[in-house]
Amino acid sequence: MVIKNTYLQLAQIITGALVGILLTIHMVVMHLDAILGFFGIVNDTSWSSMMIRARQGIWAGIYIALLAFGLFHALNGLRNILMELNLSPRAERILTWFMIAIGLIFLAVGTYVPLALLGK
Amino acid sequence: MAEIRHRKNSLGITGWAWAGKYKLERYLYLLHRLTGLGLMLFAMMHLTATTVFRIQGQEIWTATMDLLHNLWFKVGEFLVVTAFVFHALNGLRLVLQELGFALGKPVPPIYPYQDAIRKKRPLTIAMIVLIILLVIVFFYDFNVGGW
Amino acid sequence: MSKESMKLITFHVQRYSPEKDQKPYLQKFTVPSKHGMTILDGLLYIKENIDSSLSFRTSCCMGICGSCAMIINDYPHLACHTQIEEFHTDTLTVKPLPNMPIIKDLVPDLQPLFERHKSVKPYIIRHDDRDEMEQPTVEFSQKPEELDSFLQFTYCIKCGICIAACPTSASTKEFLGPQALAQAYRYCADCRDGGQDQRLAVVGKDHGVWHCHFAAACSEACPKGVDPAMAIQLLKRKLVSKVVGGKANPPSPLIPIPVDTKPKVKAPDFTVKQK
Repeated sequence: MVIKNTYLQLAQIITGALVGILLTIHMVVMHLDAILGFFGIVNDTSWSSMMIRARQGIWAGIYIALLAFGLFHALNGLRNILMELNLSPRAERILTWFMIAIGLIFLAVGTYVPLALLGK
Repeated sequence: MAEIRHRKNSLGITGWAWAGKYKLERYLYLLHRLTGLGLMLFAMMHLTATTVFRIQGQEIWTATMDLLHNLWFKVGEFLVVTAFVFHALNGLRLVLQELGFALGKPVPPIYPYQDAIRKKRPLTIAMIVLIILLVIVFFYDFNVGGW
Repeated sequence: MSKESMKLITFHVQRYSPEKDQKPYLQKFTVPSKHGMTILDGLLYIKENIDSSLSFRTSCCMGICGSCAMIINDYPHLACHTQIEEFHTDTLTVKPLPNMPIIKDLVPDLQPLFERHKSVKPYIIRHDDRDEMEQPTVEFSQKPEELDSFLQFTYCIKCGICIAACPTSASTKEFLGPQALAQAYRYCADCRDGGQDQRLAVVGKDHGVWHCHFAAACSEACPKGVDPAMAIQLLKRKLVSKVVGGKANPPSPLIPIPVDTKPKVKAPDFTVKQK
C-alpha cells in the first residue's frame, strides 16, 4: 500500500514533467503563429497543414506519447481530488476502475486515429 | 446521561475553495486545482475534435475548424494557454519543493518565527513573474493573429 | 486605569449548546478593552461579568498549552497570544476551530487530533536494545547539528490550528492532518530513532501524506513557528528515497556516560542540609 501510493505520485511527477515538455512543443507550434511565421515556419489548423503533420511519424509519436502521459496525469490527478471527498471504500474502488476504463478508452481511440492518418 | 451530540464543523469543499486570509501559496493551491480541472475538460473536448471529426475526412474537419474559429473559442484557447503555463510552472515548483529542494533548512524557532514557505517566497514571486511574461508572449501572438 | 484608555469592543461569539440549540448562532457582547488586552482576556471578561455559560478552553495563558486556539476574524489564532489591538477594529468575530466537531460554544473536539498523533508512533523506536529503552544506563548519541535538523518541528503544542487551516483536512476525515504528519517526520529525522519504516507505512497509506498538496496554510497559521508544511515535504522526500532504494540511517550508537571528567567550574555548595 505504502509503495503503491508513492509510485503513483512518482508517476504523477514524471508524467507531469513529460507532458510539460511535449505540451510546450505542441503549444508553441500551434499558437505562436506570428513568431514562428517570422522564421518561415507555418503551422495552422487547415486540412493541408494538418495532414503534412499527420503524415510524419515524429508527430504521430509526439501525439500518442502526449496522450498517454496526459491521460495518466489528468485522471490520476482527478482521482486524487475525488479521493478527498470521504467516499466509502467501495465507491473508491469503483472510482479507480472507472478512471482506468476511461483512460483505456481514450487511449485506444486517440492512438488509432494518428496511426490511421499516418498512411493516408 | 444522554450521549452528547457533537456538531460537525468540517468546511468540506468550501475549505478548498475559500482561501480567505491565507497567503499566496494557498491561492496557488486553489488555482493549480482549478487549472488542472479546466485543462482536463479542454483536453477531453480537444480529443473528441481531433479524433472523431478528423478521421472523417477533409470536409468535416474544415467545417469543424470553421465552427471553432470565432472570438469565444479564441478567448477560450487563450485561457487554456494561460492555464497550461501556470499549471506547468507551478507544478515545477511543487515537484521541486515536495521532493525537499528549494525549501532551505529548518531554523530554530526564535521569534519572529520563520518558515520555509515565507523564506522562499521571492522564488515563488519570480515564478509568477515568469508566468506573466510567458502569458504576455502568447497574448502578443494571439493579438497579431487576430481574435 | 483611566477612562480615556478604555475602548468598547463588540465580540460576536459563536454559541452552540448541544442540549438546547439546533445550530450555532452568533451572540453579541460588548467588552471594555484597554492596551495590551488579549482576545482571551475579553472572553474571560464575558464569562466573569456578562454570561457565565460561555464555554472555551484555556489553561496557561502564555501560548504553551495549546488550549485556546480559535477562529478570530476568519483566521485561526491562539486567543491568549493575540491582542485585541492587532485587528485595528471594534468588531471581532470569534468562532471555534473548523474541521473538528464542536462540543460546546468555542470548544472543539480534539480527540481525532490526538488519535492521529498517536497513530504515527510519536516516540523513539529502537530495536537494538529494548532493555536500554526501559532502564537507560547510557546516552543515545546526538550531535547539536543533528538536533538542529528537526528541532523546529518539536515545538508543536497540538492546538489544532494547522488542521483548521488545511484544505485537505477540511474535506477528508481519514487524512492524518499536518500535525500528525509533521510529528511523523520529527521522529523519522531524529538520529536516535530506528522506526522510520513503521512510520512511513502509516503515512504512505491512502489518505496519507500524498494528499498534502503544499498549500502551506498550516505553516502560515502555526502560532509556534513549527512549519508543518516543510516537515511534510521532507517526509515525502523520505518516502520517495525509500521507494527508489535509499536506505535509512541506522539509529545512533549508545554512548556510555563519561565517569572520569572534572567539572570546569566548581559546583556551589548545597544550600539545604544533606541527609
